[in-house]
Amino acid sequence: MSEIYHISGLEHSHGGRLVLNVESLTVSGGEIAGITGPNGSGKSTLMAVMAFLLKPDLGRVRFLGRAVDFAEPSLRRQAVLLPQDPCLLRRTVWGNVSYGLSVRGLKDEGLVRRAMDMVGLDPQRFAKRWWWELSGGEIRRVGLAARLALSPEALLLDEPTANLDPESARLVRLAILAEVSGQQSAAVVISHDQQWLESFVTALYRLDPDQGLKTLY
Amino acid sequence: MRGTVFALFLVLAGCCELGQAQAQTPVLLMATTTSTEDTGLLPELAKAFQARTGIELRWVAVGTGKALEMGKACDADVLLVHAPGAERNFMDKGYGQSRREVMYNDFVVLGPASDPAGLKGQDVVKAMSTLAGKKAQFFSRGDNSGTHMAELALWKAAGLPVPDREAWYVSTGQGMLQTMSMAGERGGYCLADRGTFIKYEAGPQAKNLVILVEGAKELRNQYSVITLNPNKCPLVKSDLAQTFADWLVSPPGQEAVASFSLLGKQLFFPNAGQ
Amino acid sequence: MGFILEGLAKAVNLLASGDAETFSAVWATLLATGQAMAAALVLGLPLGFALGYFPFPGKRLCRLGFDTLMAFPTVVIGLLVYALLSRQGPLGGLNLLFTVPGMSLGLAVLALPMVVSLTASAVEQLDPRLRLALLTLGADTRQMLLSTLWEARHGVLAGTLAAFGRVVSEVGIAMMVGGNIKWHTRTITTAIALETGKGEFAMGLALGLVLLAMALTVNVVLALLRRRTGP
Repeated sequence: MSEIYHISGLEHSHGGRLVLNVESLTVSGGEIAGITGPNGSGKSTLMAVMAFLLKPDLGRVRFLGRAVDFAEPSLRRQAVLLPQDPCLLRRTVWGNVSYGLSVRGLKDEGLVRRAMDMVGLDPQRFAKRWWWELSGGEIRRVGLAARLALSPEALLLDEPTANLDPESARLVRLAILAEVSGQQSAAVVISHDQQWLESFVTALYRLDPDQGLKTLY
Repeated sequence: MRGTVFALFLVLAGCCELGQAQAQTPVLLMATTTSTEDTGLLPELAKAFQARTGIELRWVAVGTGKALEMGKACDADVLLVHAPGAERNFMDKGYGQSRREVMYNDFVVLGPASDPAGLKGQDVVKAMSTLAGKKAQFFSRGDNSGTHMAELALWKAAGLPVPDREAWYVSTGQGMLQTMSMAGERGGYCLADRGTFIKYEAGPQAKNLVILVEGAKELRNQYSVITLNPNKCPLVKSDLAQTFADWLVSPPGQEAVASFSLLGKQLFFPNAGQ
Repeated sequence: MGFILEGLAKAVNLLASGDAETFSAVWATLLATGQAMAAALVLGLPLGFALGYFPFPGKRLCRLGFDTLMAFPTVVIGLLVYALLSRQGPLGGLNLLFTVPGMSLGLAVLALPMVVSLTASAVEQLDPRLRLALLTLGADTRQMLLSTLWEARHGVLAGTLAAFGRVVSEVGIAMMVGGNIKWHTRTITTAIALETGKGEFAMGLALGLVLLAMALTVNVVLALLRRRTGP
């Protein structure tokens, strides 16, 4: 199994306060790592570092076996983050889901349709809908589909099921499983719902404000 | 993408217009009075001139005073104006290269048919005093045009100060037809050149104004063409201007002036070289 | 008041008969307005975008400046552009006074502050989460800027239409800088001013209706385009 992430000695402060403290974290291909913990423990900050959007004060991050240069823009296309409260673009559902592909110079209708199917949005019915014609749950699923379509080496999801109904949460879980299985990619999922995480992750961690990252299993 | 193409097209079209004007037909810009414009004389002159010389005449009708100012600023190539006093001043100061008399008509005092101030038939200088005495509403051009300067000369001849502050004196600051329109609407009096009045008579407001005073020597209206001093105005098209001035005072030009008529009446009388 | 009906009838007649003077004025209006809007957009969109998007010292002062310029009296713009283009002025050698490109310059000066200010507003009102969304989807800097501008397109379009409305109805600048030369720089608006001054109200109204038809056409086309890209 290939190594996707190897993180050691990670520390980051904000406004003079230590907000992130992770001694060590390894994520390998085919793994789904779940991270849970109370608010303010630095989970989103950790995600930002893993998506290469934020350079940490201290620590070493290796991605795909190589040391990470945070100034390198191409890495961002390999570790794709679905933020906690994603916003859609002012386009149709199809436009939103295909945007990531278009900025990479790719055009593949099959990938877009597959991504929509994975989140349970029937392309026939949803492709031409405008952003304002969607419910809250549908918006989230479109956000996820937009990132699934890119098949990144690392899929990072920050609270993907917050405010979602159980059926949609189930679809999200299935989509993550389908995305990671049989591929040399990995997923990292943050959720305050430890039970939901336990139902499908391969490794579970808990991030506490003072105690750092603890491996639960 | 399509928007950019369209935008470029428009910019190019504009540049083409510019380029065309400067590349093919030579263009002469004239600053002139509103009376020559309003009567419709200029398109006729322009047609005859272009047929003869191939030069396209364009003009801005701004009034004599402004035309002379434009001459000083070199914003026009040639002037056709009608205020001999101001013109002589202009020439004395060295702004013009040549000044030649071209044509004349006369001024008339207009007013409502009812003539409440009783001007009809009076001598023009006396009429000005009557207007002031009766405080009859009078509409002045107030724009430094040839007609305005003629009006000021009449107040002076009557020994009166210019009634600038009087309530009955309305300074419009606009062209001849506009001023006549206003006078007609409000039942007031005004001074106008006969040519523009004939044009007014042919329009929808004809019955509002009639000629009440005419014929005096003080009412003579002389038009002249002035070319600009190339030393002061190096960018001006002096050769084209000279061609125009020469043509205008020559028999064909004078004929074009004489043959212009409206409703069967001749508006301008050629008198070059007299 | 009969001139209103007369004007209506005349308007139809002018357009149907292909009256040369009217169409010359229509063309002058289209050319002057089109060139002015093109210049204002080419300069104003990037400027307005930068003003709304990037933080920099003095940003609020800049915004205030452009907002104030939006209300600049058009007759003063006409005066300044005339002085600029006059042969005595710094740009006199270009021979632009009393030409359509000269008018376009004045009209562009009129439109620019509106385009800048309203584009900046449109960009500022975007969802603050947009930047993160674009980043996570892998947009590079150039793609980020272009996509952000596209996201703001409705506000930008509204600003463009407002500027267009101001430009197409402008009389003072067109008159002063253009000179109202028949067949060349006589636009519909300056022609209306001329006809009104002569007392020819029906003609003036007819031209006004033609102008209205032009503005309506532009608005309809843009509304249809808008429909295809959103609400």
